[in-house]
Amino acid sequence: MVDIYTKPKISAAQIVLLFSILVLVVVVGIPVILIFLTAFFEDGKLNIPGFLQILKDPDTYQALWNSLVIAFGTTLVSTSVGVFFAWLVARTDLPFKKTMKALFLVPFMLPSFIGALAWKVLLSPRAGYINKFLMVLLGLDTAPIDIMSMGGIIVIESMYLFPFVFLQVESALERMDPTLEESARISGAGLLTITRKITLPLVLPSILSGALLVALYSLAHFGVPAILGTEKGIYNIPTKIYERIYSSGGSFRAIRVGTILSTILVISAALILKAQDFLLKKGKYQIIAGKSMRPMLLKLRALRTPLLIVSILYIGITVILPTVTIFLVGGLKTYGLSFETKNLTWANYLEIFRWKMTKDAIWNSVYLSLGAALVTMLAGTMISYVIVKSRPKGKFILELLGVLPFSLPGTVIALGVILTWSGRFGINIYNTPWIIFVAYVARYMAFSLKSNSAALQQVSDSLEEASRACGATHFQTLKNIVLPLIRPGMISAFFLIFLPALRELTTSVLLYGPTTRTIGVAIYALNEDGETVRAAALASVALVIILIGETSIRKFLARLQKQE
Amino acid sequence: MKKQTWFWIAILMAISNLLYAGGSKESTASAQGEKKEKLMVYTSMKEVLIGELRDAFVKKHPNVSFDYYSAGAGKIMAKIAAERQSKQLVCDVIWTSEIPDFIAMKKEGILEPYISPEAKNVVSPVSDPEGYFTAARLGTLGITYNTNKVKNPPKTWQDLLKPEWKGGFAIANPALSGTAMVSIGLIVNTFGWEFIEKLKANGARMGQGSGQVVDDTASGDLLGCIGVDYITIDKIKKGAPLGIVFPPEMLVIPSPVAIFKGTPNLSAAKKFVDFLLSKEGQTIIANSYTLPSRPDVPIVKDVGLVEAKDAVARAMKVDYNKLMAEKQSVIDKFQQIMQGK
Repeated sequence: MVDIYTKPKISAAQIVLLFSILVLVVVVGIPVILIFLTAFFEDGKLNIPGFLQILKDPDTYQALWNSLVIAFGTTLVSTSVGVFFAWLVARTDLPFKKTMKALFLVPFMLPSFIGALAWKVLLSPRAGYINKFLMVLLGLDTAPIDIMSMGGIIVIESMYLFPFVFLQVESALERMDPTLEESARISGAGLLTITRKITLPLVLPSILSGALLVALYSLAHFGVPAILGTEKGIYNIPTKIYERIYSSGGSFRAIRVGTILSTILVISAALILKAQDFLLKKGKYQIIAGKSMRPMLLKLRALRTPLLIVSILYIGITVILPTVTIFLVGGLKTYGLSFETKNLTWANYLEIFRWKMTKDAIWNSVYLSLGAALVTMLAGTMISYVIVKSRPKGKFILELLGVLPFSLPGTVIALGVILTWSGRFGINIYNTPWIIFVAYVARYMAFSLKSNSAALQQVSDSLEEASRACGATHFQTLKNIVLPLIRPGMISAFFLIFLPALRELTTSVLLYGPTTRTIGVAIYALNEDGETVRAAALASVALVIILIGETSIRKFLARLQKQE
Repeated sequence: MKKQTWFWIAILMAISNLLYAGGSKESTASAQGEKKEKLMVYTSMKEVLIGELRDAFVKKHPNVSFDYYSAGAGKIMAKIAAERQSKQLVCDVIWTSEIPDFIAMKKEGILEPYISPEAKNVVSPVSDPEGYFTAARLGTLGITYNTNKVKNPPKTWQDLLKPEWKGGFAIANPALSGTAMVSIGLIVNTFGWEFIEKLKANGARMGQGSGQVVDDTASGDLLGCIGVDYITIDKIKKGAPLGIVFPPEMLVIPSPVAIFKGTPNLSAAKKFVDFLLSKEGQTIIANSYTLPSRPDVPIVKDVGLVEAKDAVARAMKVDYNKLMAEKQSVIDKFQQIMQGK
């Protein structure tokens, strides 16, 4: 009797476990193993000297160095900017705080490569509109600002990445127990001492964890260096991999160089994540109370209005100016004309919806990101459930595999997917949308796991036990208790994947086929082909799609929250 | 509730589309019996040129579902190499300006010989008597310059070495652009690497694609560049502040078209090659402001183009077989000089 009851139950759990392992192995495990194998082995033999040889090659070495410098610079700049604005919003009496807080998150919505495109138009050394204006204004012979430089890349990336830091630090500052500061003040400490000895140490883990997110992202970022750097011969690792693969006729040697550079990326990313993990664990000891009085606000007095103006100007310059530029360039009859009404036309915009290439790109991006978001969300829920709730044997394999996607930059995933899915194992999906789909699932699995396991950890085991004790089957418990409770986590996972996938460039630029360009790839290719006005028109359309997506999702989520 | 329903419908659509697109190979294979033909052309010709050809071709052959992939020649070759490695060649016809690639592909035996009935009307400095490839256009490249910034248009290549051009000239990246690759081969063969070195000494740089250098010239970011005829003139017609001059030693680069061996769409591929070389196709090519490869089709006057006969007579020469063998080293050396390594 007992046997009959337990046998199918165990096997069902095992099937789920096996399936979860299988998904992770197929989607992320094999590609990563193949990358390491290709990097270290040549013709079946371990080849460490060959590995080092390529790293020593000045060309690749330079790319490595640039990647590090860009990541370091971007982290430094975005952290300073993020912390400053977070402090301004959380701890001062800045007017219109709520609006300002929402505004500081807007740079997230603008894809950074579109931003880079706009800034190239505004600040390229000879033709940039701002540069030309400044040259006339200041009577200069040469352009004052060269955006197509390492400094330019760092500034532009920081512009669109600082919200990572802002979000983390702002919430830490808000949640901080104000009594700590007050007791210091009562003991006679000045503002500087309090900031140095109390506030900063308390929010430091949040600052560092935001900074590491920026570092992780910019280390493996393709779009901005590709648009601002390659023309001047500035390459980072992802753009070097791209260049190598496309200039050497897709030879295996290029792919091998790519895998070697990828291993460096994976190792750096793993180190960054390790550091972040360490900080977060340490951060658990920080005294940040859940419910408390609002911290005392610093009175800005005379600086109140000027600082508000600075904040608004910052948003205006980083978001509105590039957006308007992109829309205007998209309306030009041909690139190089001035923005006068006689030079403007709707033709480019209409062309976007007539031209097969751009129509395909929009459609590809939409259905690929919808499909990937759905599948990744479901698979992520299942895997998180196995990791968090059931404790079968072999769980550690899952945990290990589950951490892997976090440290895989987009370029690495693309290479791994090429190695895995172009016929080596009997399945060849090269040049089909499937290869991009598989890559998206691998790339965004981390988001889904994070969001789902956070939701699952909040569901107390006792709820499930109570349901089982009342006689419900495992399946009924899942359906009636667990799923409804984690639904918000699942839905947020869906959108966490859908929106970034919609504007994805780094991965798809290495995987696209003649009919499977995504929006990001199409914009990038048009720009590279010198169809600047059409690239801008498509970018404008993409921005509108992203804006509609973002706002309708916000409304949808708000309504859902009301229902709950 | 209603919103959620729509949400699920959207997701269902997305998935079904993915399934459809993934499986479309099989479905078209079965449809071939009904005389529906498919054709995929990889070309380095820009939209302004290939777009109109597609429209006219589809109108003439409505049962051919025609698609093309337009990118720089370097990217196209990389794509083809990757597809061959995964044994899944998608393209049936290739049409770029990188002649060394065609000679190399012929040697490798991956092209299908086809002598079109129209081929006898074609005149080109490079031709293949066995019909592995046929020139469908004679591209001419000149010095494209920004008319706002350059008051004194250059007349010869040597003018580019004058101080007024300091830091203002660019050549597209030969790894990306086929016309740039062949142009550099021709220039080096005529003036030697010293000329490239002198250009670099005068601040010239390497751009990206052949279209981007022209756009950068239009914006004023560059004073001038080696510009492709139809890309430049099309932008001039749209109002861009550009001019183009053809120095005495001309860059004339035929753009051959070739069919891949073993293509399942051979008859459609032949139809397309026939169409390109036909009077109708050549007229569309000529009207896009470049030179047709048929002498019996007139060029557009008053846009600065040089008649095909004169162009070929003034053209710089190179041994294309030799250029094919040296292709990679030419690209490497050019990049080394330009990036100052």
